[in-house]
Amino acid sequence: MATEVKLPRLGQGMESGTIVRWLKAEGEAVAKGEPLYELDTDKVTQEVEAETAGVLLKIVVEDGEVDVGETVAVIGAQDEDVSEILAGAQGGNGGAPAPAPEAPATDAGAKEPPDSERQSSIEDTAATVTAQSPGRAGERVKASPLARRIARERGVDLASVSGTGPEGRVIAEDVETAASLPPAAAATAAAAPPSPPAGEAEVVELTSTRRTIARRLTEAWEAPVFQLSVTADASRLVATREQLVELLREGEVKPTVNDVLTRLVAAALMRHRPVNAHFTDGKVLRFPSANVGIAVAAPSGLVVPVIRDADRKSVLEIAAGRSDLVTRARAGKLQLADLENGTFTVSNLGMYGIEQFIAVLNPPQVAILAVGSIEDRAVVVEGQLAVAPTMTMTLTCDHRAIDGSEGAEFLRTVKAFVESPALAL
Amino acid sequence: MATVEEKAGSGGGRVSEEVLRGFFREMLLVRRFEEKVEERFRAGELPGFLHVAIGQEAVATGVCSALRREDVIASTHRAHGHTIAKGTPIDRIMAELYGKVEGCSGGYGGSMHLYDLEVGNLGANAVVAGGLPAIVGAALAFQMRGEMRVAVAFFGDGATNAGTFHESLNLAQLWKVPAIFVLENNGWAESTPAVQQLPLPVEELGKRAAAYGMKLIEADGQDVEAVYLAALAARDHALAGKGPVLLHLRTYRLTGHYVGDPQVYRDRDALKEERETKDPLRLLGARLELTDEEFASIDAEVTAEVEASVEFARAGTDPSPEDALKYVYA
Amino acid sequence: MPEITYREAVRDALARALRQDESVFIMGEDIAEMGGSMAVTQGLLEEFGPKRIRNTPISEMAIVGSGIGAAIQGMRPVVEIMYEDFLTLSMEQLVNQAAKHRTMSGGQVKVPLTIRTQGGAGWSPGAQHAQQLEAWFVHVPGLKVVFAATPEDVRGLLWSAIYDDNPVVFFEHRTLYPIKGEVPVELEPIPLGKARVHREGEDVTVVATGRLVHEALEAATSAESEGISVEVVDPRTLLPLDEETIVSSVRKTTRCVTAHEAVTRGGFGAELAAVIQHAAFDWLDAPIERVGAKFSPLPFAPAMEQWVVPHAEDVLEAIRRTVARS
Repeated sequence: MATEVKLPRLGQGMESGTIVRWLKAEGEAVAKGEPLYELDTDKVTQEVEAETAGVLLKIVVEDGEVDVGETVAVIGAQDEDVSEILAGAQGGNGGAPAPAPEAPATDAGAKEPPDSERQSSIEDTAATVTAQSPGRAGERVKASPLARRIARERGVDLASVSGTGPEGRVIAEDVETAASLPPAAAATAAAAPPSPPAGEAEVVELTSTRRTIARRLTEAWEAPVFQLSVTADASRLVATREQLVELLREGEVKPTVNDVLTRLVAAALMRHRPVNAHFTDGKVLRFPSANVGIAVAAPSGLVVPVIRDADRKSVLEIAAGRSDLVTRARAGKLQLADLENGTFTVSNLGMYGIEQFIAVLNPPQVAILAVGSIEDRAVVVEGQLAVAPTMTMTLTCDHRAIDGSEGAEFLRTVKAFVESPALAL
Repeated sequence: MATVEEKAGSGGGRVSEEVLRGFFREMLLVRRFEEKVEERFRAGELPGFLHVAIGQEAVATGVCSALRREDVIASTHRAHGHTIAKGTPIDRIMAELYGKVEGCSGGYGGSMHLYDLEVGNLGANAVVAGGLPAIVGAALAFQMRGEMRVAVAFFGDGATNAGTFHESLNLAQLWKVPAIFVLENNGWAESTPAVQQLPLPVEELGKRAAAYGMKLIEADGQDVEAVYLAALAARDHALAGKGPVLLHLRTYRLTGHYVGDPQVYRDRDALKEERETKDPLRLLGARLELTDEEFASIDAEVTAEVEASVEFARAGTDPSPEDALKYVYA
Repeated sequence: MPEITYREAVRDALARALRQDESVFIMGEDIAEMGGSMAVTQGLLEEFGPKRIRNTPISEMAIVGSGIGAAIQGMRPVVEIMYEDFLTLSMEQLVNQAAKHRTMSGGQVKVPLTIRTQGGAGWSPGAQHAQQLEAWFVHVPGLKVVFAATPEDVRGLLWSAIYDDNPVVFFEHRTLYPIKGEVPVELEPIPLGKARVHREGEDVTVVATGRLVHEALEAATSAESEGISVEVVDPRTLLPLDEETIVSSVRKTTRCVTAHEAVTRGGFGAELAAVIQHAAFDWLDAPIERVGAKFSPLPFAPAMEQWVVPHAEDVLEAIRRTVARS
C-alpha cells in the first residue's frame, strides 16, 4: 500500500521547510531510515530520512518551500497506482493532512506501529527491494554489536559508515571516526560524552531538538575557535539591578542580573561590530542591531530564543521579552521566529554556581559569551585587599571571522560596562 | 525395625518366635506400605513411577535385621522394603514419594533415590548395579580406618550382567574389604526372564562368586529366618577380615516390574501359583501358626501406621521450585 | 621461589595432602611401584605405603565408584584415570553417581572425590590416548572441572580440588609435565572458580585452556610485533567458571578468541562464546573466534596429528581475523 511522504516538523516552531534536493530518484528503492531528501530550515539544512520503505513512486515537490504536513512524495510498491493518493494530497494542500482512505497518513506525529508490525513491514519491504534492485537498499549493514551500540548512542547512521572490520564489517573505530563527536558541549550543559560502559545503559532516544543540538554543535566544533576570559567586579551590575527592582511598577517584570547584562552586552556589540556577525558560506555578515540569543534549558533540550534589538531596548523591555520567551520555551511553545536571526548568544550558568566555563559556538554566529556566577571574592582595590562580588566571563570566538584583538577589545568593553553600567548609555 | 542386636554376630541356631513375630510385623508393614503406594499411585496422587518388591519382603527384613545401625547399605530402584528395614520411619518415606520437604531425601530423590544417611542408607540407585562400586569404597574406608562395619549392596540377578558388578566384586575380593553383595535373585531382569539373560540356570547364579574366589552364602529368600541367619554369617565373615561375601537369595517378585506393569510377558498360572506358594508372609504366618485374630490385630496396627504415613505425607510441605539448585554443590 | 616441573608440582600437592591428612589416599592403575604412567606418583609408595598408594585392577568404573563410596564415608580419595580417554569407561559412575548423590539425597551426602586424569596430543599416541574431553564434564551439574596449565596453578588447584567437598575432575596435559615454572615455597591453594590473566592487552582477549595457554602466550608475543595487543586469560577452572574475569576482559578488548586443544565443535570454547556473547554483546567488535582441533579422531602419523591439533600459529591467525588483518 502506498504511503504519502509528508514534510515533517523537525523542530519546535517549524512550520515550513525548503526542499533543496532529492537524494533518491523516482523509481528507486528506499529503505526505512535512508536519507530521502535535503531540507533547509533557517536553522539548519538536513537530510530527511524515509519513514517507510518501498519504491519512491512519485516526487510531488521537486524543490522549494513546503508547509509542514504537506505531501512531498509517495512511497509504495513497484508499479502501484498513486493517482488517487495524489488527488487526495492535492486536495489537502496547505498543511492539513488529507485523510486518504487507502493510505493512512504517516506524518511525523503519527504513532509508530507496534514492533511486530514494523518487523513484518521491514521484512516485506526487504523482499520487495531485493527484487527491485539487488544488493542496494534494504540490505542489512554488517556491523559489530559494539559498533551498533555506539552508533545508537551517538545517532550515527550505520549505512553511511564504511566498515574496516572483518569482512568489511563496521566496527567501533569506524563509527567513532564517522561521529567524531566532541566530548561535553559546555553551552548545552547536557550532552555527556560516551562514558566507558558500566552496567546496562538506559537508551534515550533523541528528541528532534536534541538532534538539532547535536548536529549544529557538532558543526560548531569544526570552527577554529579561541577563548578569552575576563573577571569583572559586579558590584555595580548588581546594584543597578537592585535599583531597577526598587523602581518597579505594577505589572512590570522583575529584571534579573542577566537582563541587565544582556543590555550591556548589546551595547558593547554595537561598539564592536565584528563580534555581532555571522560566518556563512565563506563570508562574514555584520549586523546593524544586536539580536541577543539567551540559552534556555527547556524540557526537550537547549533552546536559544532571541531578544531582538536588545541594543535599543530598556532593561525592563528586555526583562519582559525574556520572561515571555523563557515561559514559552519551557512550555514548548516557541515559534521558529523566536529562534531566528540571533547575532550573538549569552549563556549564563551562574545560577548553577558555575564559576566559569567555555561555551560552544552557536553557528553561524561568530561569538558566544559564557557567564559564570557572581561570587564574593578577594580583590585588590587601590592596593588594599577587599571583598567584592565578581563575575568571570569567557568569550568563544570563531577565528575565521574574528581575531584575538577584536575579541579582546569587545570583552574589555563588556567588563567596563559591567563595572560601570552607566558607560553603556 | 526388627533389629536383633543380641543375635547379631552369633551365627547359626534357631531364631526365637518372638523375633520371628517381629520380622512378620515388619514384613507386613512393608507389604501394606507398598500396597498403599500402588493404590495412591493409581489414584494419581504420586508423581513419577514406582517399583514395588511385593514378594521380596523377607530379603529386606532378614538382611537388614542382621545389620547394625552403623553398617551401610546401597539399595536399588525397588527400595521401599530395604529402606523401611534399615530403619527409616515410613512417614518420611511416604513423604518422599509425595515429593515433600519432609521426605527422607527432602523431595529431591523420589522412590528410586531414598536416602537416610543417619541410619546408614547410602541411597537407592536407579541405575542397575550402579551402587555396587560405592559399597566397595565404603567398605574400603571402614577397612582403612579399622572400623567394625560392613557395607552392603542390594541388587538383582539382572545386575550380575553389568560391568560394575564384575569390577566391584573383583576389586572387593582383591582388597578383602568388608562388603556383602546381596543378590536378590527374582529371576527377572525387568521383563526379561532368567533364561534370556543368564548363561547359568537361575538357581546356580551364585556360582559367579567363584570367578572372584569370593565366599558364597546362599539361602531361600522367601524364608526370613534363613535369610537372617545367612546375613549374620556373611557379616561375621566380612568383619573377620576374610573378605566380602556374595549372599545369594532366591526370591520371587509377585508383581510387575513397575506399578501398572501389565506383565504381558508372564505366565498367569505360574504367577498365581507363586503367589500361593512363595509368598513370604504366608510362609512365615503358617510357620508361626498365627490365628486369624492375631493376624487381624497385627494387620490393623500396621495398616493404621501406613494410613497415618499417607496423612503425614499429604500434610507435608511442597518444596520451593528454586530450592532445586540448593544441593548441586556442597 | 623454587622452580619445579608441572609433574613435580602435581606430586608435591599429593604428597603434602597425604602427609597432612590420613583421610587422603590415592588409587589408580600403575600408580604405586611404577609411579604412574606419567611418573607423577613416583616415590609416593615409598613414603606412604601400599595402604594409601593403591594400585588397582584395570577397572575404571570400580576405581571411580569405590572412590565415591570412600568419599561419602569421609575419606578424601584422589583417584587417577590413566588417560582421559578411559574416563569414558567410568562415565556412569561420574555422571550418574558422583555428580548426583548430593542432590538426590537432599543434601545429606557429600562426595569429596578428586579424579585426576591426563591427555593430549603431540607424541603420536593415536586416537585413544590423546583426547581432550573436558567439555563433556562441564555439562554435568554437580561436578567441578579443573584444567591447569602451569606448575604453580596445577599445585595450588590440585590442593583445592582435594579439599573441595564435591567431585572434581582434574585434567592435566601430558605435554606440560616437563615444563618448569616457579612456585611459592609454601603451597598456596588457588581457589576453584578463579581465572588467571596471564598477560594484559588491549585489542583481543584469548581465553585459553591447558596446552593452548602456552600457545596463546606465544601467539600474543607474535601479535605484539604486529601491533596487536593481546590479553591471555586462563579460566583454570572450567566449572564453575569465572565469568566475571573473562567477560570484563572481553568488554575491555572488545574481541575474543577461545583456544583449546579439544575438538572445536561442541568444545569448551562454544560455552565460552555463548557466555561472552550474552554478557558482552554490546561490547563485541568482531565475531568470537574459536581455535580447537579439527573434527577428526586423532590420526597417528605425526604430519596428520600436527595438522589436526591447534598451535600458536592457529591462535595468531584467529587473533588477526578478529582485527581484520591477515
